[in-house]
Amino acid sequence: MTGGIPKTIADLPTSKARYIGERVPRVEDQMLVSGRAEFIDNATLPGMLHGAILRSPFAHARIVRIDTSRARALPGVFAVVTGEDARATTAPLGTIPDGWGVHCLAVDKARFVGEPVAAVAATSRALAEDALEQIDVEYEPLPAVVDAFEALKPGAPLLLEEKGSNVVLHKQFRWGDVDAAFRDADRVVREKLRWNRLGANPMETFGVIAQWDPSEATLTCRGSYQTQGYMALGISAVLQIPAHKVRVISHPHGGSFGGKGGMRGTCIAAMLSRQADGRPVKWIEDRMEYLVGGAGQAWDRHYEAALALRSDGRFTGLHVTLLDDLGGTPEGAGAISAAKPLASFTGCYTIPVAAYDLTLVLTNKLPTGPYRGMGPPPHNWVLEHLVDTAARELGIDPGEIRRRNFIAKDRFPYEIATGNEYDSGDYEAALDRVLEMSDYRRLREEQAQARAEGRLVGIGLVSTIEPGVFDWNAYAIVGVPMTGVPEGATVSIDLFGKIVVKVGFSLEGQGQYTVAAQLLADYFGVELGDVRVVAQDSLSAPPHFGPGGSRLGVALTGAVLGAAERVKAKLVRAAAHLLQADPGVVVLRDGRLEVPGVPGAEMTVAQVAAVMLTRSDLLPPDLEPSPEATCVWTAPGRTPADADGRAKSYLTAANACHIVRVEIDAETGQVTIDGYWIADDCGVRLNPANVEGMIQGGVAQGVGAALLEEYVYDADGQPLTSTFADYLLPTISDVPIPETAAIVTPSPFTPLGAKGVGEGAMHTTPAAVLCAINDALAPLGVQATETPASPHRLWKLLESARSHAKSNR
Amino acid sequence: MKPPPFAYAAPRSVADATALLRASDGDAKLLAGGQSLLPLLAMRLARPSLLVDLGRIADLDYVREDDGMIAIGAMTTKTAVERSALIRTRQPLLHDATRLIGHPQIRNRGTVGGSMAQADPAAEYPAVAVALGATLRLAGERGERSVDAAAFFPSPFTTALEPSEILTEIRVPMRAAGSGWSVLEIARRHGDFALAGAVVMLGIESGRIASARIVLFGVAPVPVRVSAGEAALLGESPGRPAFEHAAACARDAVSEPLSDPHASAAYRCHLAGVLVGRGLAEAAARAEGSS
Repeated sequence: MTGGIPKTIADLPTSKARYIGERVPRVEDQMLVSGRAEFIDNATLPGMLHGAILRSPFAHARIVRIDTSRARALPGVFAVVTGEDARATTAPLGTIPDGWGVHCLAVDKARFVGEPVAAVAATSRALAEDALEQIDVEYEPLPAVVDAFEALKPGAPLLLEEKGSNVVLHKQFRWGDVDAAFRDADRVVREKLRWNRLGANPMETFGVIAQWDPSEATLTCRGSYQTQGYMALGISAVLQIPAHKVRVISHPHGGSFGGKGGMRGTCIAAMLSRQADGRPVKWIEDRMEYLVGGAGQAWDRHYEAALALRSDGRFTGLHVTLLDDLGGTPEGAGAISAAKPLASFTGCYTIPVAAYDLTLVLTNKLPTGPYRGMGPPPHNWVLEHLVDTAARELGIDPGEIRRRNFIAKDRFPYEIATGNEYDSGDYEAALDRVLEMSDYRRLREEQAQARAEGRLVGIGLVSTIEPGVFDWNAYAIVGVPMTGVPEGATVSIDLFGKIVVKVGFSLEGQGQYTVAAQLLADYFGVELGDVRVVAQDSLSAPPHFGPGGSRLGVALTGAVLGAAERVKAKLVRAAAHLLQADPGVVVLRDGRLEVPGVPGAEMTVAQVAAVMLTRSDLLPPDLEPSPEATCVWTAPGRTPADADGRAKSYLTAANACHIVRVEIDAETGQVTIDGYWIADDCGVRLNPANVEGMIQGGVAQGVGAALLEEYVYDADGQPLTSTFADYLLPTISDVPIPETAAIVTPSPFTPLGAKGVGEGAMHTTPAAVLCAINDALAPLGVQATETPASPHRLWKLLESARSHAKSNR
Repeated sequence: MKPPPFAYAAPRSVADATALLRASDGDAKLLAGGQSLLPLLAMRLARPSLLVDLGRIADLDYVREDDGMIAIGAMTTKTAVERSALIRTRQPLLHDATRLIGHPQIRNRGTVGGSMAQADPAAEYPAVAVALGATLRLAGERGERSVDAAAFFPSPFTTALEPSEILTEIRVPMRAAGSGWSVLEIARRHGDFALAGAVVMLGIESGRIASARIVLFGVAPVPVRVSAGEAALLGESPGRPAFEHAAACARDAVSEPLSDPHASAAYRCHLAGVLVGRGLAEAAARAEGSS
């Protein structure tokens, strides 16, 4: 429903918006900085037990025998579960594509190091961990396959023997006559690129308190859930309980970025609670469990890509081949991440035809999950790398070659080769702005001088799309059948005129409570503090999804304003009756219901609401005595995907243009980022401070991706990065604070013209930093083609360039 | 990530602590700042039956001038070292090295004695101790003894401490007039353990190198003294040719280089050479500036 939702801020029933569009301090921050938000590990229930999980030490091993008798005998241990219990009482975990699921506890064999094998519930976590040491598991190690190319070969160890192959999906897509484009091209640039596995690392790991109610056969799961309703469906399917008997309560949580996961942990905790006769069981994933066995690893990708172009630098075709290593099973949305690039496959450019050869393969590593950006960040790097290579080969400036290929601002809405439609944009404006901010001409002059001194200085300039407002139809090619992502909100006004808005998600850090409060304060003419946002659990909230896919800011705006419109309609009817006026002439403006031009014919929202709730005798007989309404919003105009995955999927296309300056220490390979400029266009900014936070956080994660973060496995599938001493997150010393500017091209499709920006600079920064590094390396004739560009990798490149130079002498 | 069960004792004197160590028959661990031990306990990689907390023992926390040396109590935190005016003015190498250790939160808890006794190959303090010719004072049941730093770190995570001995004090000489110093390291991020590090000290008299000390850390199981490079520098005039030769000696000095996902053995040795070259230049500039 989008009918009456205001399309611009000026359409709101206020003379001047005081909050929306402004840099409003977040309403969430008080409870966060005072430590009052109830994170799951702070919660305690009566009789609560603590769970701990025994995990496979082998990447691939037959489980011959498990003896839990010694663990069960320990005083204080109340439940012990193994794969046999999972086989008896649960269904395999859901997967995308469907049908590749394993149980939440390994049955018969383990497929990756860290896979849950058994679990214990005891009176303390320490005791539960002591009990794990008393469980005897006899393993028969099997050969592990760790490399994606090896996993494709005939005779490779099979993750699921019954499937006969490790290939989960192999499809070739041709959007237009790609062969002709490459045949007729003046030039083709190609590259093999390796994006290594990395992932989300929220401050808080996943945690849950599961409580089985034996009398009603219901389950309540409190936890740090990103998407409670979606999780409830999965839990219902795995534990084979009807969905209406599963209540999921999302607690405030310390970030997610897609890494919260929690399906296995929830189901295991629920099994333990059931065995413990319904005592609640808390399980908090510790950081080593998160890094080795959590839901936070993503994008283990081997690319081979080619760009066809004319001699004038115009792009005519893009061909991307992706071998995506999903790890042990496709339970974690790794496949979705391979599908999402379709929403912005050709970036900011008019590339008329495109091809995608996609292979999803299993290996004996942790299953990959979602991560901020959900797939396009590596794809964007591949595309931008090819664009830079083309510019270098043709002798065209990186900014200029992009300008020549940009979708022009008068061509929106614009349908790209892969079927999605971009809503609006002005890519040249963003480029011009960032060129000006960075004093690009001077940067290039300084670079020339540095090169003359033998220094390795590079400038990265990239321009990317952030698809916003995700829709399930974007993932049709990996077997997702849905279209639309409902998000609901219920708005009620009490008899004092204060406003409560009920939503189906909890605090995660993005500031959506503030956005809801801003919208309603302006809509009903109250103060920000007069609006309270209340999280509802999965059974109480209207249909919802929650944060994800750069969607919630826009979706919530739609739901909140839609509900507000419906409340307003009730208030207008009541006020008209009370003012003895025609409902058609009563308007809401600045918190008053009034008849324009009739002095004194006005009531405040609070007065009308109070009458509705306390004086039914004064109301029209057919008016519900309830200043409350619900609206469930989904993006308008979405289309089901065709056989090649073409769909109007993500509703918005935000644009960003980044310029980065780096210097590489020629002796050590260390990279220093010493300049960073961003022009970002996410349409109308509902809260500019929130947007800036999104961009800055994306820069941090992007720098991590480009320079630091990598999950490393040895040849036997043993993880070598199981603590933060080895998995390197960027710290405050590593992250630049960019100079930023806002470009605003409102979306014609969304409430108030906002676009999704929740993934922010994660779409752009990895490519920008890597392109800068390669610009620095270009004179040496070597290129960084693997992430992260660690000092060790860059030193090896520098060494190879030096030895090459020597042998050519 | 919860430790297995252990007993806990917080003795009030060194004598009580050594008695506890002796009674535990080698199955006790000493707790100083806990920056290495507590994670090892939580990961159940360390499983002592008894944890002897040194935090309640009076008078292991001091920095003072003693008999022409700087004496540092083993339980002195790195933050206290960092803030000590005595150390900053009289042995600035130790001050500079301290600032490379972890982050302020770690330096607030971590102790000098803890770092020495942990003997992590990537840690700064053991290499600094070797470079400075520090003396470590150990207390045991049979009384006290002193060990030169050069003999204190026989192998990684192992020291010359007997099972029932406790490190009580580190004694460091003061910087000689006319000498320069440098401590440099390459880490993936600020505060990380070094992939390679170099401690350099140079004495310059009448325009010639009169003394040289080069010690590497992070590259090998124990601190590595680059004796060949030191010898080659003596009598040379400070400058690029001499420094480059010493750097080459550093690259060759490591017989068992470490290797891990962040840095191969070859890269570590290369970095050692780079750091020694840069460190010598910095130390020479400081020596010339001070004389």
